Amino acid sequence: MSGYDFHRGENPRILFFFWIVMAAGITLLVGLGWRQLIAYQKYEEIERRQTERRIFKPGPRGDIYDRKGNLLVGNRPQYSAVVYLDDLRREFRSEYSQIIRAEREKLRQAYEQTPESEREDSQLTPNYNDLQWIARQNVIQRYIDQINRITGRDDSLSMRKIIRHFNEQLLLPLPLVEDLNADQYARLIEQVPVKSAIQIHTDTARYYPYGVAAAHTLGYVQNVNPDPDEIPDDGIKTFTFKTKRGKTGLERHFNDLLSGETGTEIWRVDPLGFQDSMLEMKTPKQGQDLITSIDIDLQLAAETALGERTGAAVALDIHSGEVLAIASHPSYDLNDLSPFIPRNTFDEINERGAWLNRAVQLSYPPGSTFKLITSIAGMRHGSMTPETEHDCQGLYRLGNRIFRCNARYGHGIVDLAASIEASCNVFYYAEGLEMGIDVLSAEAKRFGLDQKTGIQIPFETSRLVVPSKEWKREQIGSGWVPGDTANTAIGQGFLLVTPLQMATVIASIARNETRTQPTLRALTNEEVQRVEHGGEAIGLTQKQHDALWEGMERVVGQDGTGRLVQIDGLRIAGKTGTADFRAHGKGVNLAWFVGFAPVENPQIAVAVMVEGTNASERYHGGSTAGPVAKDILLEFIEQYPERAGFSAAR
Amino acid sequence: MANHRLDKIKPLVALGAFLVAWWIVPTAIKSFLRVSFSEFQAPAWVATSYLDDLEGFWARRSHSKVELIEAGREVARAKSLYQFNAQRNETLENEIQRLESILNLPSRREFRYEVARVIRRDLNAWWQQIVIRKGEDYKIPVGAAVVFYGGVVGRVVEVNAFTSRIELISSPNFRMAANFEGDERPVVYQGLAQGGFGEPKGVVRDAPQDMVASTQAPLKLVSTRLGGTFPPGLMIGRVNWLQPGSTGIFQTGTVELNSDLLSLHEVAVLIPLYPIDLDSDAP
Repeated sequence: MSGYDFHRGENPRILFFFWIVMAAGITLLVGLGWRQLIAYQKYEEIERRQTERRIFKPGPRGDIYDRKGNLLVGNRPQYSAVVYLDDLRREFRSEYSQIIRAEREKLRQAYEQTPESEREDSQLTPNYNDLQWIARQNVIQRYIDQINRITGRDDSLSMRKIIRHFNEQLLLPLPLVEDLNADQYARLIEQVPVKSAIQIHTDTARYYPYGVAAAHTLGYVQNVNPDPDEIPDDGIKTFTFKTKRGKTGLERHFNDLLSGETGTEIWRVDPLGFQDSMLEMKTPKQGQDLITSIDIDLQLAAETALGERTGAAVALDIHSGEVLAIASHPSYDLNDLSPFIPRNTFDEINERGAWLNRAVQLSYPPGSTFKLITSIAGMRHGSMTPETEHDCQGLYRLGNRIFRCNARYGHGIVDLAASIEASCNVFYYAEGLEMGIDVLSAEAKRFGLDQKTGIQIPFETSRLVVPSKEWKREQIGSGWVPGDTANTAIGQGFLLVTPLQMATVIASIARNETRTQPTLRALTNEEVQRVEHGGEAIGLTQKQHDALWEGMERVVGQDGTGRLVQIDGLRIAGKTGTADFRAHGKGVNLAWFVGFAPVENPQIAVAVMVEGTNASERYHGGSTAGPVAKDILLEFIEQYPERAGFSAAR
Repeated sequence: MANHRLDKIKPLVALGAFLVAWWIVPTAIKSFLRVSFSEFQAPAWVATSYLDDLEGFWARRSHSKVELIEAGREVARAKSLYQFNAQRNETLENEIQRLESILNLPSRREFRYEVARVIRRDLNAWWQQIVIRKGEDYKIPVGAAVVFYGGVVGRVVEVNAFTSRIELISSPNFRMAANFEGDERPVVYQGLAQGGFGEPKGVVRDAPQDMVASTQAPLKLVSTRLGGTFPPGLMIGRVNWLQPGSTGIFQTGTVELNSDLLSLHEVAVLIPLYPIDLDSDAP
């Protein structure tokens, strides 16, 4: 028997192992086949998730224009100096080696100086993690120092920011210096070598050519992370640049329209997560433009006329309801809020109370401008006619209470037109009491004074009060008394409206309708033809209408309370108002003027409200708010002479 | 046989040994060797350029009297034109000084001009440089702007004892701040890698979206003072088209440079009289 016989194939023990190996081989082949042919998609997906990273680049926002095509909000370049950390890896390693060597030497010396009995081996082990971060910070700071030398700035980057960037945004460039001005940008372009790790990154920031003009209406944006819903749920890790989202004003209301289309880059990364090669790119696209109804010339006129005063001014196109100008003071320069709001700027604006849009976000007693509603209510109710007269002796007795008129010694006998002209309180005390609060309240509601206007400005106040018996019972818990009616009839008491509402009221009266739907979007001619304001005819007879309008025109006449609004060649109908108001715990006056022009073919409605800021100073509708309205009307004539009834620009 | 084979690979071994040695040599020594090499080469380049000048001289000597008289007239005409322009410039400078004193404005930063002859051109796809026949002997600083009659030439990147090396505006390693003529907003200009004997080109980035360029109405790209190196208004090139860049808002486009850039004979180096001191206000 030879030695080979021992290894014969038919040896059962060999066969046993043969079958085992055979089975293992088949299992392996089947497994391989399964993975390569059947389950390959799953592994491809895992590989994709491990090796691919997505970068989201938000598109720039669309521009905002006024009705004549003037740019109100645009995008300006925002320059920053950045580094891609991938480019610094060699430097990080080199710096880390140096730091480690120095640290070990330091620890060794410390170890040697320690008494032998207290020595521990752990003393010789540096904190590698900390040293790694220090090395990274040192390298990054060297680049920042280089930028500082060129630009003359004094910037640095905190360790916290560096760590956060490494952990959360490794693929994105690390901003070293942000918001460089054009001069610094140009110097860096020329003086930083092309092959340097420093890159000059250009992004966009919102830019407002007119600064404070219409600041509250236009609104501002804030930098936020994109909506998580935008990120595809395909498992690829996504890095996102911050996007701009409208925080207030039109920027907020039209955010979807203005937002740009996000661009995408997909990168293949190495095992450490640094970028290797770009696999896919989709360029971001700018958002759509918005054309507003604002006329920047009228807006500037309103802003200038309001000046340092606290208040609001609104100008509406009577037919379309388009807002031609809407100003609120105190205001702020929107450019100070871009690209971000510095803390001290926020505090300063807050301190001045300038964040509030007084045209729509605060409500005030309308004062005597409300007498127009009282007049309409009385005439429709039948308790008042154009010939109704009252003898004003300067006061009105109601029980044991005395209600005073604005004229100390009275206006004498006044009819409807004269009472509007002179703003006689006694006439309206008597008429208000005659018709009662139910009629008065219903009329105010018919003009929409208890509802938001629905303008495209967010946060329109809902604190609008048209008082009624039920309202007082619910809100104050006491019964309605005749004195409340007398106060309401002259626009005082519990009544609260916004300047924009009063602008819609006066525009509605000019059109002989009860509602005006204001809008900040510029309407096309076809859209203007189709505008539905949603109201109804006021319902006055021609005689009643004429008496009302006569009174309003006399307000701006020689002896009227609004005589300062007079403009040669332009027939203006209006109403002044001076209301009592409590602000910041002190009683002040509110000055109002509402009006429209030209009387023969109404085109523009104006409402101006000026808050009294000095308790010792008197604010009158005619002398304080009137001139503001006059400036707006003068600018209207300048810009639209034909609509104002003039043959050419004055 | 084995010896023969060894002989064959000896040069490769020597090259390998040299490369290894070069790799381990400290950077300071490398830098010293490179500068020394440039300095060593420079006399040869300078001598060659003088020979070229001599050759040009003798070539002109061979012209006929009629040609020389005509050339002399041309020179006289050009001279009178330049004299007129020089006088006008002087008047304008006086006027500027007068206005500056009236308005109490700081005086503009001025330059000293050093005209130098080009003695070598080093043009390829990766870098585009020229060497001029003036260096430290004329106090030419690194970073100085270099111009010619057609506008910007480039920037001094290396200064030797008698020569200076200039990075041409068409080099991909050259970048500067610029703006479009009549528009103050800064944009980035950078040279573009050239292929073969093509016309010199560059690229402009970060152009505002409202700029429109076309072959019918090309935009002129000019230098800006913002960067601190070049005086404002020097011609860089023309931009025939702009297209949206990767930001979705700023535009990018190709800049056609002056074709004479690649055949320059003389250039002027602008040496700032008051170099920018970033730690203090500019004079």
